[in-house]
This record gives sequence, C-alpha cells and structure tokens, in this order.
Amino acid sequence: MSAALLEVRGLRAGFGAQTILHGVDLDVPEGKVVGIFGLNGAGKSVLLKVIAGVVPAWSGSVCLAGEDVTRTSPERRVQRGMAHVPQGRQVFGSLTVEQNLRVGAYALRRRDKSRYDERLAQVYETFPKLAERRRQPAVTLSGGEQAMLAVGRALIGDPKIVLIDEPSAGLAPSVVEDLLGVLLAVRSLGLTMLLVEQNIRFGLRLSDSACLLQRGRVVYSGDTASLDQERLGTYLGVGRLLADDLTKGLGAKSTQPRRASRRKAATVSST
Amino acid sequence: MQVLVVGLIAGSIYALIALGIALVYKATRVLNFAQAEIGTGTLYFTWWLCTRHHLPWIVGALASIAAATAIGLVFEALVIRKMMTAPRVTVTVATIGLFSFVLALELAFFAGTIYLVPPPIHPGGVRIGGVFVSWSQWLALGVVGLVALGLAAFLRYTDFGLAVQASADDPVAAQLMGTPRARISAFTWGMAGALSALAVLLIEPTVGVLSPGAFNGLFIGGLTAALVGGLNSLPGAFIGGLAVGVVEAEVKAHLSFNVIPSSNVTAMLVIVLGVLLLRPQGLLGATAGRRA
Ligand SMILES: Nc1ncnc2c1ncn2[C@@H]1O[C@H](COP(=O)(O)OP(=O)(O)OP(=O)(O)O)[C@@H](O)[C@H]1O
Ligand SMILES: [Mg+2]
Repeated sequence: MSAALLEVRGLRAGFGAQTILHGVDLDVPEGKVVGIFGLNGAGKSVLLKVIAGVVPAWSGSVCLAGEDVTRTSPERRVQRGMAHVPQGRQVFGSLTVEQNLRVGAYALRRRDKSRYDERLAQVYETFPKLAERRRQPAVTLSGGEQAMLAVGRALIGDPKIVLIDEPSAGLAPSVVEDLLGVLLAVRSLGLTMLLVEQNIRFGLRLSDSACLLQRGRVVYSGDTASLDQERLGTYLGVGRLLADDLTKGLGAKSTQPRRASRRKAATVSST
Repeated sequence: MQVLVVGLIAGSIYALIALGIALVYKATRVLNFAQAEIGTGTLYFTWWLCTRHHLPWIVGALASIAAATAIGLVFEALVIRKMMTAPRVTVTVATIGLFSFVLALELAFFAGTIYLVPPPIHPGGVRIGGVFVSWSQWLALGVVGLVALGLAAFLRYTDFGLAVQASADDPVAAQLMGTPRARISAFTWGMAGALSALAVLLIEPTVGVLSPGAFNGLFIGGLTAALVGGLNSLPGAFIGGLAVGVVEAEVKAHLSFNVIPSSNVTAMLVIVLGVLLLRPQGLLGATAGRRA
C-alpha cells in the first residue's frame, strides 16, 4: 500500500468538554489537492489546527510522510515539510513584506540559506506586487495583497504540503480569480495541498478530491468528479439548482474558461 | 543645560527599564511589575562578590546580570508557560507576585541595613559645558546606547529577532511559520531580567545606596516612559525614557520639594494622564488594535 503524504486517522479533538472533531479520517496523497467543505462551525479550521499541531489531538493520529507527528510541536511539523496559510491570513503587520517572507522561510534558512535567495526570487516572480512592496509594512497592504503574501509566505519554504484555510474569504471576485490562477499554477507543479474553502466553486476548481465535513464528522470523501448534487445540496446547504450548476463540468474543470458563470459563485463576498 | 544633561542620564536608565517593559508587553500583552525589582534583588550579588570577596565590579555586575536572566527564565518556565492561555490580567498579577517575592527575599536577608556597592569605575568625571558628569554616568550613557542599538539590530536583522517580532504580532501564526515559540518566550523574559539588572547596576552609583525596594522610583520612571512610548514600541520606550528623565529633572529643578511633595512622581503621573488622554496609543505606539 502506498501511503498518502498526509494521513489522518480517527482524529478526535475539542475544547473543554465540547468535542469538535468526532473521529476524522483523511488522506492527502502526494501531488493531489484535497478540498474540505462544510458549513460554518463544522470544524474545518479546528481540523487544520490539529493537523498543524496548535490544537492538541485527544486521540487518533496524524502522519506526515510516513512519520507519526501527532505529538510533535508545530514548528517541528513545519521543519518536516508542512506549511500554512491560516484563516484570516494573519500576516505580520508590523513587519515588512520581505520580513514576512523571511519568517515564512525560518526553517528553510536554517537548512540552506542560498536556497532561500532562489525561493525569494521565485516568489517575487509569482507575485510581482509583493516585489514592488517588499519594504512596506504588511499592515499597509490591501486584502488581496495580504492574501498573496500569506500564500507566498507558505510557499517560500519549499513545503511538501500546504494547508490553506479559506484563501478567498473577503476578496473581490477579480482578486479571487488571480488567486485561483496562482494556486492552479502551483498545483500544476505538483504541490500537495489541503484546502478549506467556503467558496465552493473556487474549492472544486482546485481540488482533485473532496471531503465533506458535517459537525465534526466526515460525511463524504472521494473524487470531486463523482460528487453529486444531492450531497452538495444536503451537506453544504447550497440550493439544488446551484449544486446542479456546480457539479456540471467538474470533469473538465481545468479546460473550462475561468470566468464561466462566476456570478453565481456560492459565496463571493466583496471587500 | 545642567538640567538637560542630568535628565538625559537618568532618562537613559529609565529607557532601559522601559525597553524591558515594552519587550515583554509587545510579546505577551503583560505588564511586568517586577521589571525593576529583579535587578534590585540581584544587585545584592554584586555587593556580596565585590565587598565580601573583593572581586572587581565587572565580575559582580556580570553575576547580577546572569542571576537576573536566570530569574527571568525560571519565571517564564514555571509561570508564563503554564499561563499561555490565561487572561492577561491574571499573568500581570503573577508579575506582581514575582515583584513581592523578590522584595520579600531582600527583606528577609538584608532588611534594616544600607549596603554600599563599590562604584564601577574611579570616582571623578569631567565637566562639559559647565556640567559635571561622573565616569559612572558616562558609562551608563555608553552602555545604554550600545544595548539599545544592539537590541534593535538583533531584532531587525537576525532570523531569530524577526521571529520574536513576528511572534509579538501573532504568536500562533508565527508558530505556524516554524518559529520556535518556547525559545522566543524564554528569550523575552530572560532579556527582561538582563535589562533589569543592567538598569539597576547603572543607576546605583547615582543613587548611592542599596536597600530593599530602593529602586522603586526606577520602575515608576520606566513605566511612565513605556506608556509615553506606547507600551509596544521599543523606539518609543527609549525616547519615552529620555523624555521622562528630562521632564523629571526640570520639575526637580524648578519646584522646590516644599511646594509639592514628591514633585517628580507627581510630574510622572501628570505625564501619564496627559498621554493617556491625548494619545492613548503612546507617541510611537501602533494605532491598530491587535487581532484576536
Ligand atoms: N479556541 C476555541 N475554543 C472553543 N471553541 C472553539 C475554539 N475554536 C473553535 N471552536 C469551536 O469549534 C467549532 C468549529 O470551529 P471551526 O473554526 O473549525 O469552524 P469552521 O468549520 O472553520 O467554520 P468557518 O467556516 O466559519 O471558518 C465551532 O463551534 C467553534 O465555536
Ligand atoms: Mg474556519
């Protein structure tokens, strides 16, 4: 059996007496993008935090590249190849753009300083806006630029897998499209990702497989292509018509023109 | 002129205390009430080594700094780390506990006697522009300047320093970027201890005597300076320290003690009230609130 890059087994976690995750199983195979979908409060962010190690697991296990990291500190997990784009982006406002990137490369710089210079150049190439604003404090960036910075900060350390929590939240549609373009490009390079998205259209366009989470339980997991409208309708609370629209053309998502029926995107909030 | 020089010298030492307060506040949103007392407690080491064992001042000074750093580290390991998710007010109360603990130790072993610590360098000094500045005061100015510049460079140009700043902005996000949270926290409190010892060592020659709680005024000045600077700004704390020193010297020079008792402390309270009313975020403090 070829093990997945990230393997989550029977994960239970919560706060105080309240259980949030009731035994979650999840596999993220190398080179694939797995999308986690679910309503507000389903436990998506908590799941990512337990995988990251900032919220402790009560039971179950998290394995990264065959190694059990369930009791490992978050920084060790980063050293082993995990990277994060936290919900709300959480860029370091008082640091400049470049300092943010340098902090993102903390583990990489301890391994290999010259690789950092290469990676920095690559990130600036991917996000020319960040290069323009490299000396500017991150707090002065627009929401879209902060999103780019958060993604760049995660990618710069040469991660094996990136955990992304709602990258498109609060962004204007055109910025969402830019971000999608970047993430699709990154995906085509073979980077493994675990993605949480409220914007289902955005999430489905990026994901190879989907995991539907409902009140801390996985109620569906499998190919996005075989995700039927019933399930989307039931678990995500999107209307039947919209679900129909969303599942259509999933098989051909990479060739589909990007702007197709963007107006009907499930949740596109504007800044 | 005389007043300005005297004020700047006292102010530079307030600046050291203010730097410690601001560093800890930035990193943990906790006001460290023990910031001056740690160094007062460990100054007894210096006294003991220098007078009982006749060792050079520098040896006693380094011992005091090492002991104060150790107090900071132990306090972090035993208290701060356990209270990572506790309300900040609770942790602040814990620093009052540390203050009382150090003071109680001083009282238990050294109460009732006034101790004299030998001066760092030869007595004497030079006169510039009609103002007499002792060698000890020159030393204080030089050391404070070097420490402030060194700390600023460390925080800005090293990976660990940037990680400390990132962690101050958002500890969880910083940890998610792979920075070592436990070591950053230990650094913050160890550094606070070291700054405390350094400030007390440098002001002692001017005060002249060592007794339990002798340097409470140092804390009040440092706290005022940190508040003026905005509590979370290190440059603000530094400039605040100098400003408080100068204002205090002016007040002392122009108001006789009989008109208003403790006029210098009163002046500091006026400064604090003025800053809080006019510019609550301090002179250089960040205006944006902290994200949750
Ligand atoms: N630190 C915490 N302490 C207590 N409860 C928490 C904490 N963090 C999250 N929760 C609870 O866990 C549940 C799941 O939260 P989570 O943030 O994972 O939701 P989510 O699926 O990411 O939702 P959203 O789409 O709104 O981001 C919620 O009921 C939330 O109140
Ligand atoms: Mg969430």
